[in-house]
Amino acid sequence: MMELLKKTPLNEVHRELRARMADFAGWQLPVWYTSILEEHRAVRSGAGIFDVSDMGRVWITGRKATAFLDRLLTKRADRLQIGSSQLCLLCLEDGGILDDLLVYRMGTDQYLIVWNAGHIEQKLGWLQRWAGSDPDIVIQDKSADTVMVAVQGPAVCQLRNLKGVCHLHRFGHTRARIEDVEVVAARTGYTGEDGFEIIGDAANALRLWESFMKQGLKPCGLGARDSLRLEAGMLLYEQDMDKSTNPFETGLGWLVEMDNGDFIGKSALLGIKRQGVKRKLIGFRMTGQGIARSGYKIVRCGQEVGQVTSGGYAPTLNVNIGFGHVPIELATIGTDIEIMIRNKPVAAKVVNRQFYKRGAQNEPQRI
Amino acid sequence: MNPKEYKYTPEHEWICPESKGKGKVGLADYAQSQLGDIVFLDLSAPGTQVKQGKKIGEVESVKAVSDIFAPVSGQVLEVNQTVIDEPGLVNKDPYGAGWLLRLELSKAPELDALMDSDEYDKLIVQLSEEESEQTED
Repeated sequence: MMELLKKTPLNEVHRELRARMADFAGWQLPVWYTSILEEHRAVRSGAGIFDVSDMGRVWITGRKATAFLDRLLTKRADRLQIGSSQLCLLCLEDGGILDDLLVYRMGTDQYLIVWNAGHIEQKLGWLQRWAGSDPDIVIQDKSADTVMVAVQGPAVCQLRNLKGVCHLHRFGHTRARIEDVEVVAARTGYTGEDGFEIIGDAANALRLWESFMKQGLKPCGLGARDSLRLEAGMLLYEQDMDKSTNPFETGLGWLVEMDNGDFIGKSALLGIKRQGVKRKLIGFRMTGQGIARSGYKIVRCGQEVGQVTSGGYAPTLNVNIGFGHVPIELATIGTDIEIMIRNKPVAAKVVNRQFYKRGAQNEPQRI
Repeated sequence: MNPKEYKYTPEHEWICPESKGKGKVGLADYAQSQLGDIVFLDLSAPGTQVKQGKKIGEVESVKAVSDIFAPVSGQVLEVNQTVIDEPGLVNKDPYGAGWLLRLELSKAPELDALMDSDEYDKLIVQLSEEESEQTED
């Protein structure tokens, strides 16, 4: 039997828009409405709106909330200013990554965690295990009661209903009203563009969505979400990292604060850092003809040396790009590698993982 | 709609029979709409002998990789270089500028076994119904 897919509060809207729907981490989500390329380009050149309600939203409150998060996360919560947010990792004791997430500080003892859609039970169980029965640590998963949209693109601050939140700095957040809907708006995103992620009550989902659609914003699906993040060099949990990868080999060492008291995974990570990593997640650009996809082998002189974790076409750059794990000695920029595409080795080159940079020269190029 | 003069396979390739046992081959509109934006094509080179139902290339959209099968047996005469350079033509104009290859047929009677446009239209209606039922769940 087919497993019952979870639906976001905007599910009906997507169907009315005749979106192509697909299963993602147990959710039924739109992959595209009109075209992934069109949606991708709308976000790079104007603005687009995504239903990202599949992301988990968990409030952590209580007198010991700060100490609790300092114990669990790789970056210190106590240094985070109220009204700001930061990216960090949830690591296991052995340093493996359980998830990457955004933590928003809402008040002295109030935090909001926004994490990936997958493994919710396991992650909540992990939090609960470390919280124990302490009454000063309150964990509330409000994902089902809320809606979350991402409005992304260079033109977001020209939108009427976002005027009130455009003073926010990057990673800043505030409570606000959008079309009379009470929301938490944060200047964050997963596309490499300026933008906001906005959380409101599920009951107001439609009103919130419509207030953007009225302004002609393009609805964008999972396909563009993936191509935009890939192009901007952003990693996707489960594909580019998981429990078997550590932050250093994944290029996420900057999210680990070793002066952070004694967080879970710290001693293992100290050991890994001391020894140095043996493999690394690289970015590559195809120099031969072909598109690398997740799971394809990376070879060199006929020998398998690693695997592609994410790959695809980069619409803004008009090249084929990807991420993959290779031994550290092959991780230097400029190294020639090959990707096995349908039993044929196709040439590629190791390049900086941030393929697309906002505001930089990102000339389309022909391979 | 699907052109009357073309013949179709259950895998959504089309062939447009030309004079002297030749034919142009492409992907049907339904295939391109299912795949979404096509960004890469890998097609058998001119001179290649192909067999009906066997692979003659691959098509990749942003999200998916799919095989293209020969609607009939024969030899590849020509590959549409324009569509290799601009794969999005398959989306924009699947029955025109988005054609893929030209074949020389070695077994002309194979054409008769393919679907005509009426039969193919019925298949598409059926598939579209199944699809909308699935998303209703």
